[in-house]
Amino acid sequence: MADAVVIPQVEPVQPALRFLRLIPGVLLLAAIGYAGKLLEQNVGKYAKAHHWVFPNIEYVLWAILLGLLISNTVGVPEIFRTGVATYEFWLKAGIVLLGSRFLLGDILKLGGVSLLLVAIEIVGAIAFMTLLGRLFKLKPKLTTLLAVGSAVCGVSAIIATKGAIDADDEDSSFSIAAILALGALALFTFPLIGHYLHLWDRAYGIWAGLAVDNTAEATAAGALYSDAAGKLAVLVKSTRNAMIGFVVLAYAIYWASQGQAKAVGNKAAFLWQKFPKFVLGFILISVLATYQFFSKDQVGSLANLSRWAFLLTFAGVGLRTNFRDMRKQGLRPFAVGAIGEIVIAVFTLGLVVGAEKLFGF
Amino acid sequence: MSAEEAAVPLKKPWRLSLDSWAVVVALLAALLVRAGVFKHIPW
Repeated sequence: MADAVVIPQVEPVQPALRFLRLIPGVLLLAAIGYAGKLLEQNVGKYAKAHHWVFPNIEYVLWAILLGLLISNTVGVPEIFRTGVATYEFWLKAGIVLLGSRFLLGDILKLGGVSLLLVAIEIVGAIAFMTLLGRLFKLKPKLTTLLAVGSAVCGVSAIIATKGAIDADDEDSSFSIAAILALGALALFTFPLIGHYLHLWDRAYGIWAGLAVDNTAEATAAGALYSDAAGKLAVLVKSTRNAMIGFVVLAYAIYWASQGQAKAVGNKAAFLWQKFPKFVLGFILISVLATYQFFSKDQVGSLANLSRWAFLLTFAGVGLRTNFRDMRKQGLRPFAVGAIGEIVIAVFTLGLVVGAEKLFGF
Repeated sequence: MSAEEAAVPLKKPWRLSLDSWAVVVALLAALLVRAGVFKHIPW
């Protein structure tokens, strides 16, 4: 028999009102993103006109830096917060639209290679993070969350796993803070390392997609290097995201066998629920583009639309990163995450270099 | 109205996830571009 509840007399929030609440934050994302684009176009010109030596900074970095500046100085006022949180939505819509720039053959070829690399990365990262968690004497469920966050896809994976293994709120906020802080660091260090090592766009893009945790940060780290690297980073990161259901299911079964989580009922339904649907949208648009459903000009327009969506995402990445909040979360989980990320970055770099020699991409 | 009268079976309202909304909006935008509603999107 179904449970019965008494409906409290609360005024429901109208969908129109919910939509209106998004507008200030979305406008802020758009304003910061567009300011980043204007700065990219004009700062270089101004520096050149005045004979200054100034590095060419892309809109991606400007948008992130402006967001970081606001978030870490005046902060994001309450009225903007709901809309700013939509940056994940723009990221996913942007990835779906980016599918128009991939032919199905490319996805099958690169997707096959990246699937193999992703499988090796996930197994290696989970094993190493578990070992590290034991060495640092972290709580087992905190170790699980950090392992999933580092191996698969950052915050989304941690949230999905938290529910499946009945982890504490404190453990999940520790893990999320560590993964976000490390993602912010990766954003700035990966392009520098890539340039230092003179990595090809493809090798760098695959590396960023394999090693940077959050999808937004992986997309930004790729785009900061080059357009081609950005595309590859998104493809590989999406392949990693597609694995989320399997990893969370494995952990849910393990913790249930230990009597510390609810048993999983319908496994197929569990996998479908956790599967990132934007990956399917990305493949669908790519199939349509491959069979010339869109003209060449239309593909160009879709690619530009995807860039606009990413522009809002990059502004959101900066706005949601607050270093003061991250410092409050403590050092040990961060230390475990940092050591893990460095080892995973070196390990995946080795994988990419090896795969480049083997498959010649 | 008594509490018993207001009691209803517990049922979660069906909602699209953020992921699914992003797919729906992106596909809709792609269809509008295909239909020529948006002729050219500049960058």
